[in-house]
Amino acid sequence: MTLALPTTHDEAWRWSDLSSLPALAEAPAGKASDASHPWIGARDSGGARLLFVDGQLDLSVSRLDGIAIGLVEASTAHPLGAFANGKHGWTLMLGEDRAAPATIEIIHVGTGPSHLPARIALAEDAQASIVETFVGEGWANRLTAISLGPSARLMRAIRILSADGFVSLREEAEVGENASLTTTVLGLGGAGTRIDAAITLTGEGAYGEVGGALLARGEQRHDAAVVVRHAVPYGTSRQLWRAVADDKATASMAARAEVVRDAQKTDGEQSLRGLLLQRTATINLKPELEIFADDVKCAHGATVGELDANALFYLESRGVPPERAEALLTRAFVADAIDRIGDEAVREAFAKDAQEWLEAVI
Amino acid sequence: MLQINNLHTEVDGKPILKGLTLAINPGEIHAIMGPNGAGKSTLAYTLGGRPGYEVTGGSVRFFPPLPLAGGAGGGRTVETDAPADSASPPLTPPANGRGIDLLALEPHERAAAGLFLGFQYPVEIPGVSNVQFLREALNAQRKGRGEEPLSAAEFLKVARGQADALGLNLDMLKRPVNVGFSGGEKKRNEMVQMGIIDPKLAVLDETDSGLDIDALRVVGEGINRIMRRPDKAVLLITHYQRLLDYVKPDFVHVLAGGRIVRSGGPELAHELEREGYAQVAA
Repeated sequence: MTLALPTTHDEAWRWSDLSSLPALAEAPAGKASDASHPWIGARDSGGARLLFVDGQLDLSVSRLDGIAIGLVEASTAHPLGAFANGKHGWTLMLGEDRAAPATIEIIHVGTGPSHLPARIALAEDAQASIVETFVGEGWANRLTAISLGPSARLMRAIRILSADGFVSLREEAEVGENASLTTTVLGLGGAGTRIDAAITLTGEGAYGEVGGALLARGEQRHDAAVVVRHAVPYGTSRQLWRAVADDKATASMAARAEVVRDAQKTDGEQSLRGLLLQRTATINLKPELEIFADDVKCAHGATVGELDANALFYLESRGVPPERAEALLTRAFVADAIDRIGDEAVREAFAKDAQEWLEAVI
Repeated sequence: MLQINNLHTEVDGKPILKGLTLAINPGEIHAIMGPNGAGKSTLAYTLGGRPGYEVTGGSVRFFPPLPLAGGAGGGRTVETDAPADSASPPLTPPANGRGIDLLALEPHERAAAGLFLGFQYPVEIPGVSNVQFLREALNAQRKGRGEEPLSAAEFLKVARGQADALGLNLDMLKRPVNVGFSGGEKKRNEMVQMGIIDPKLAVLDETDSGLDIDALRVVGEGINRIMRRPDKAVLLITHYQRLLDYVKPDFVHVLAGGRIVRSGGPELAHELEREGYAQVAA
């Protein structure tokens, strides 16, 4: 198979490094080097839990609890998402007023290539919280199509712990009237990543949030490209990303907010911040606003820097050793993004992963 | 307690301190006054070990006293409710005759040795709570002295006591360091931190700046309560005489042009206030 991949000549992919994908796409599946399955909730927590190994559901440890497995067809034009489209995947559909009883947990173990689509459709006033964790290696390619009816609420948290390989995510969402979608991504581990999201606020009063923390070391590359489109008035969007890069790693974040002519009273906020732990590391930030309405509030900020020398000295002057002072400040920097996760157990698990990463690096 | 000899410091290649000499004994409070640009903050930062303050000559030796006999031990020494004046026990002579070469230590090692630096402009640190960082600081110091770390509960008890004494709500201490604090609250927080850390020598850089009269009194009382002890000492750097109404110095020095140009008793501060630096330092 010859993969038709975007190149860095394409503006939306200029910071991506997809060069490993042709080989990863052909690599045979093997045995997972990391056999641990980092579930966050207890086994009897009551929510659905799904374990996919190379995109295949492992029924022996999974509990479907209302989630259907079957072909998932979405209408995507995304070059990576298209590889997953139309294949076997999972679907969560919740009817009016229904709420998933507990946080739904999905773990993706990778040994070779996998392309897995998913659909999440919440009817009016339905609610769900989903956390997905990526471990192992190989190429994990995911397409998730989301539609939220009026006043539906979906909380998504995604952590990429994969030791090696590549994780590419494509999220496409439509958020209806007064509905709310929040997505928080934590990228660490050792895999290269490409995190793509296109969120459209289609109903008045809709809320769309997508953000996260990307922690890169070695020669790792994290790459996030997110678009939130305000198609109607009175929408609110938040895009808050934090990147930390060490060694010769690269973290790139491109966030765009689009406000169409009719989308008056839009309230948009973008905050992109990067922290370089070494001067050999690279952080690319690209905040973009495309506004055609005239009565909107869109704040944006983008900064890249090193740890604040004043704050470091202040902490050290009180007796905190330099490496601990650096860890405290870096943790605070990352916490901006992780603290936005509403589910306490999930937030703590993500914070712990980030903390372990920082302790290993600093 | 502290012996500064012929200290020279440069900042960005520019000489600021030009041969400063000063000796401080346990139980003493020294005030350093001087005009803007005299080198007051440079002295504080040099003692604290701030990067960018390059010592080009001289020495600073630090003689932290051992805990007094009969003290509670474990660093928190004398628990006196009585005023530490005439009833004070005799001074404990420094155990280590040659003292510590302060300038050879990293900032956190200076803190562990017993030095506290009060900042003129306390730094705001979003995302790091006061209690989290202070417990970390205190336990790092205790570890350096071979003492057991304080548990979260033990620490909160100490923190609450200090916060109450300085009129700060404990909830404020749970918030990020100095973020959203008023100028006066930041200075009170410096004193709360000093009370928790319980240092041997406090170098307080313009702790009175930005304080109204009430806050000045609270901060002054805090300095007396925490530091006015026979085994401790204070170097109070100030621009104005008014803090000295609350914290009575034993010695007053005038710093001008990077050197101590005059020393005297408390009356020197009043003379400065009356006649101005130009007259006295001339």
